[in-house]
Amino acid sequence: MALDAACPPEVLATIGDLELVARIVVEGLVSGLHRSPFHGYSAEFSQYRRYRPGDDLKYVDWKLVARTDRVYTKQFRETTNLAAAIVLDTSASMDFPRLPISKFRYAVIVAAALSHLVGGQGDASALLAGDRFVPPRAGRAHGRRLLASLSTLQPGGAWRPAETVRRAADRLGERSLVLAISDFYDEEEATFAELRRASRMGHEVALFQILSRPEIEFPYRQDLEFSDLETGARLAINAGLARREYTDAVAAFLERMRSRAVAEGFQYSLIVTDTPPGVALRSFLLSRQG
Amino acid sequence: MIWLNPTALFALAAIAAPILIHVLVQRRAEPFPFPTLRFLRPTRLAAIRRHLLDDVPLLAVRVAVLASAVAALAGPLIVTASRRDAWSRRIVRAVVIDAAVRGAAPRSSSGDGAHLSREFSGTSLSDGVRRAVAWLEHAPPANRELLIASPLPIGAISAADLAAVPPDVGIAFDRSGTLPAERTVPFGRLVTAAGVVSRVMVLAGDRTSVRDTPASIALPDALPIDIVARAETKPIVAAALDAVLSQRVWLPPPDRRVRALFDGTDGDVEPPRRRWMADAIARLTRDADLQDAASRSSALVGHAAWMRAPWQVVALAADGQPLVAAAAASGALVVSSAAPAADVVTPILLRAVSAAIAQPPEVGDDEVVPIADAQLRAWSRPATAPPTPRIDAIDGDDRRWFWIAVLCLLGLEAWMRRTARRAAGREAAGEAARVA
Repeated sequence: MALDAACPPEVLATIGDLELVARIVVEGLVSGLHRSPFHGYSAEFSQYRRYRPGDDLKYVDWKLVARTDRVYTKQFRETTNLAAAIVLDTSASMDFPRLPISKFRYAVIVAAALSHLVGGQGDASALLAGDRFVPPRAGRAHGRRLLASLSTLQPGGAWRPAETVRRAADRLGERSLVLAISDFYDEEEATFAELRRASRMGHEVALFQILSRPEIEFPYRQDLEFSDLETGARLAINAGLARREYTDAVAAFLERMRSRAVAEGFQYSLIVTDTPPGVALRSFLLSRQG
Repeated sequence: MIWLNPTALFALAAIAAPILIHVLVQRRAEPFPFPTLRFLRPTRLAAIRRHLLDDVPLLAVRVAVLASAVAALAGPLIVTASRRDAWSRRIVRAVVIDAAVRGAAPRSSSGDGAHLSREFSGTSLSDGVRRAVAWLEHAPPANRELLIASPLPIGAISAADLAAVPPDVGIAFDRSGTLPAERTVPFGRLVTAAGVVSRVMVLAGDRTSVRDTPASIALPDALPIDIVARAETKPIVAAALDAVLSQRVWLPPPDRRVRALFDGTDGDVEPPRRRWMADAIARLTRDADLQDAASRSSALVGHAAWMRAPWQVVALAADGQPLVAAAAASGALVVSSAAPAADVVTPILLRAVSAAIAQPPEVGDDEVVPIADAQLRAWSRPATAPPTPRIDAIDGDDRRWFWIAVLCLLGLEAWMRRTARRAAGREAAGEAARVA
């Protein structure tokens, strides 16, 4: 089978074998990457990063502090095992749109691809999705178990992101990687508080905000009775009249998410579900390498 | 356009129903699952649409469906130039056949070249023409023609009969059949000494004859001449009247009465104002026998008053004095004689009076001779273009086109509803499909 990172999401959605989907996505995108995209604190220097409270002071580059009056800490290319926890939003709000691919299915593909990527480096990967927890392990068998667990997930109900992030941070070892995949509609303040806590615990945090195009552009015109997928609340409005206010509010929300993530030192990626997952992940990984 | 059933147009009021429905019914907003409502604020929703027509194209189609159905029920007929031409090219012919004569029939078949034809026969052409005109009035729109097939003797049909024919109906005559050998016509009634008899006349080509039959009218009521005379002279006058009746006189019309005054008597009189009275006085003055007898007689007494109105002198005596004068009184003609009752003037005067107030019958129109060809040509005329047809006479309409339009519009309406439903479903299913 031809492996192509730019495989359209609607095509990937038709492939039932999640491992195959992950392979298609990952093997296509890593072909252009020369080194592991994930960084730990091994002996080989990788890059500087702004110091965040909680970082080990022994990695602060004091010479650079003297030169620039800014505090940077050194990062090193991982040579030891990295533990990456994939925190996946399984709330009902992710079950949109139904066609051609839902945010949840897209998120599952991204999670599978990340798991495949991490496992391919010999690192450990964990999964926290709803009440499900797959502890961090390395190895091919574990990778398959994680993918099998991913493939059985169904979106529904509400999601408690703060609690899930807290569980992930607490169950991971020191200096792990927390990969949160969600639309981040819920508990914004509490979620950022827990992410901040995880970061202070030494974990590196990357946020994948998955949204669909209709959620951003709101292309509706007629009278619609919107029902909240999570709460069931209903609101009947004229979509055409509400469109401008909605798009302004969403844009403000996304900008707030981005700016807060940057301020906290999180890596932030806004992914729209009409973007091929391989392309989105490639962009993410290249930004990490940079 | 003509509506054959215009009362059905009242059903156009039903058009208000879909309009009211489109105006008043507020469409329920489509349920639409969405990830979050946190960015949505309540808007005016349909509030601004409440008083607007919802889905105008669909409403227009629905109104058109109803309007077309109502129009079809109303029986539309579009009178186009081609349709008028088609009507003008066909002929509806009514043939009136004089059944009273042998062999009366049109020379060619009455239906030749006719869209519709019908024959009317009877003992009277006048009755046949009347029934034919009534039938033509309800005939389908076409050039209408009345054909009269008869030997057409004088009196068979008159200008008055043809005046009842509408001006756009053509009239043609087909002289066929043989004239009757003779005709029997009423010929008045006569007063005789035995009573009143009815007389008929048998008209034939070369001879005539009369036949009398008794009539049930009593003699005193038959001859309306009242004798006013002294008692000693009255039998003389009555005998003179019997002598007159023995010779038979025409029975006068019932509204004519005469008071005959003898022995120079007179009374309250007035000028004769009725036409028959003046006519009778004129006849009396022209009666040669009366004038001759009077000129050889003499009056018993002189009547200077007869020389003045209201009297009119009818005859003068030998000495130039008035002998007979006439006037009117109480609706009757008053004839007064100054001659002696036993004079010959008395029976001659009574006979002249009887003849003057009678009205002899005229049988000139009943003669068995054909109507002149020139007269028939004058009465003949071609049919003109059919006028606007009567609603009950139209034999076709355009309602089928309107029903076809109804079916097409119903199909369009169903398609529009289905399309709108699909569009709503697509939108509800997600914009992603449309983007893809």
